[in-house]
Amino acid sequence: MEQDTLRKLELLNQLSLNEVQKANLLAFFADREKELDVLNAMNTDDVERMVHVMPIMTVVREDIASQPFSRDELQKGAPDTNQGYWCVPRVVE
Amino acid sequence: MKIWTSKTETAAVKKIAADDMMLTKDMPTAAGSKMLDGYLSLLEAEALTRMKNAGYGICGKANVGEFAVDLMGETSCYGVPSADGVLKNAAAEIVQSGEAMAAVGLDVNGSIRRAAAQYGLVSVKPTYGTVSRYGTVPVACSGETVSVTAKNIADCREILDVLAGHDDKDGTSLSEAECEKIRQSAGCGETVRRVAVISEFTEGVDAKTAECLNAAKKALSENGIEVAEISEKTIAAARIAWNILMSAELCNNVSRYDGVKYGYRSADANTIDELYTNSRTEAFGDLLKTAILYGSDTLSTENYMKVYDKALRVRRLVSESFGKLFEQYDAVLMPACSRSAYSEDITASERDIAFTENLYTAPASITGLPTVTAGGVQLIGKAFSENALFEAAKLYE
Repeated sequence: MEQDTLRKLELLNQLSLNEVQKANLLAFFADREKELDVLNAMNTDDVERMVHVMPIMTVVREDIASQPFSRDELQKGAPDTNQGYWCVPRVVE
Repeated sequence: MKIWTSKTETAAVKKIAADDMMLTKDMPTAAGSKMLDGYLSLLEAEALTRMKNAGYGICGKANVGEFAVDLMGETSCYGVPSADGVLKNAAAEIVQSGEAMAAVGLDVNGSIRRAAAQYGLVSVKPTYGTVSRYGTVPVACSGETVSVTAKNIADCREILDVLAGHDDKDGTSLSEAECEKIRQSAGCGETVRRVAVISEFTEGVDAKTAECLNAAKKALSENGIEVAEISEKTIAAARIAWNILMSAELCNNVSRYDGVKYGYRSADANTIDELYTNSRTEAFGDLLKTAILYGSDTLSTENYMKVYDKALRVRRLVSESFGKLFEQYDAVLMPACSRSAYSEDITASERDIAFTENLYTAPASITGLPTVTAGGVQLIGKAFSENALFEAAKLYE
């Protein structure tokens, strides 16, 4: 993995790594890359992807409107709120 | 060493500890992460509701590693649980000390099974879909399972009986009819008559783990159960595929933590991007960051087909290998971890050990098969064969 790719991953995932973490991560990625040889040696050309481990269909619930929690309840754990809104740093200059 | 993250009074005679991956309304749920430190949920895990409705008391929350992806709990934001230079596991400590009859928790990357094996306790990771995951902190949803740890098989079985059953609130929870259909197609018998020991999983374990394995093999053989040593390379590849799938799912699941609606918020942020980035950077630990970035990479345009898609196909190969194996054998006996204890500084010398030591736990995680850990080893069986596994494990418990 290149440093540029790692930087891109950091941006995508909203993380910022220090130099030690970056070096460790590059070593980690190199190890995982090597392990891929084991999977690549397995012929999966005609093998179907297995997304669910059990033969289940996605259950769609009845479309019934409800309000299990109030806004106040939902905002109880928020770091910062004001008059029912979540507060964040100014977005528009 | 922080064992309990919260404790509460209960009048119930039979006390249960919930691990901190299970949401509770009356106690905070941190999932071992600074991101959720102090978080009070509006929901209660269905598994805990069922325990309470059946007369059991939830007496507190057991500390876990950050989002339960580590070895034993060493990445918890509350510090490394260790004593005498050895890593400890909070839920196992609680059960072993008798403070709770059992612990109910979320098995994401095998920490519950490793702890049960190292403490000489019993744990069951039931077939995927048996116990509702509603109200658990989601990490690797396609393979994680609500599991039970107890001192003996009888207690473990008793708790699983309470927890098992369909829940409308969990889309992956199976109905009794679906369970029966799968049970029949898997050809589940009531007893274990033939057990396979896969050599790929027995090489490289320490002397004490090998001793546990030999004791279990001897007890099974002495009771008329055929034990055969075989080689199975496909199942041994489960770890690599599981690391990919687990990390990809984790990456998506923890993307919700941004410091806005709940959880940790950085005090050092002047823009919205700084708020997101600084909150996540300050709150998440190194192991979690590694898993997030690895998961994100496997899902990238460049790698999706050659890594993530490949892992999904290998998952089927692993599942089919178990299927073929179960045409000849009723269960697979293997270690749950490579050693009987981990030194408290193991992650300094083996930084990625959570991604290698899951060699033993990944096969059941990636396929959703049930396992019973007892006597320091785990027994993996066909889907919904928990009763047969319990009976066999009794022989070496």
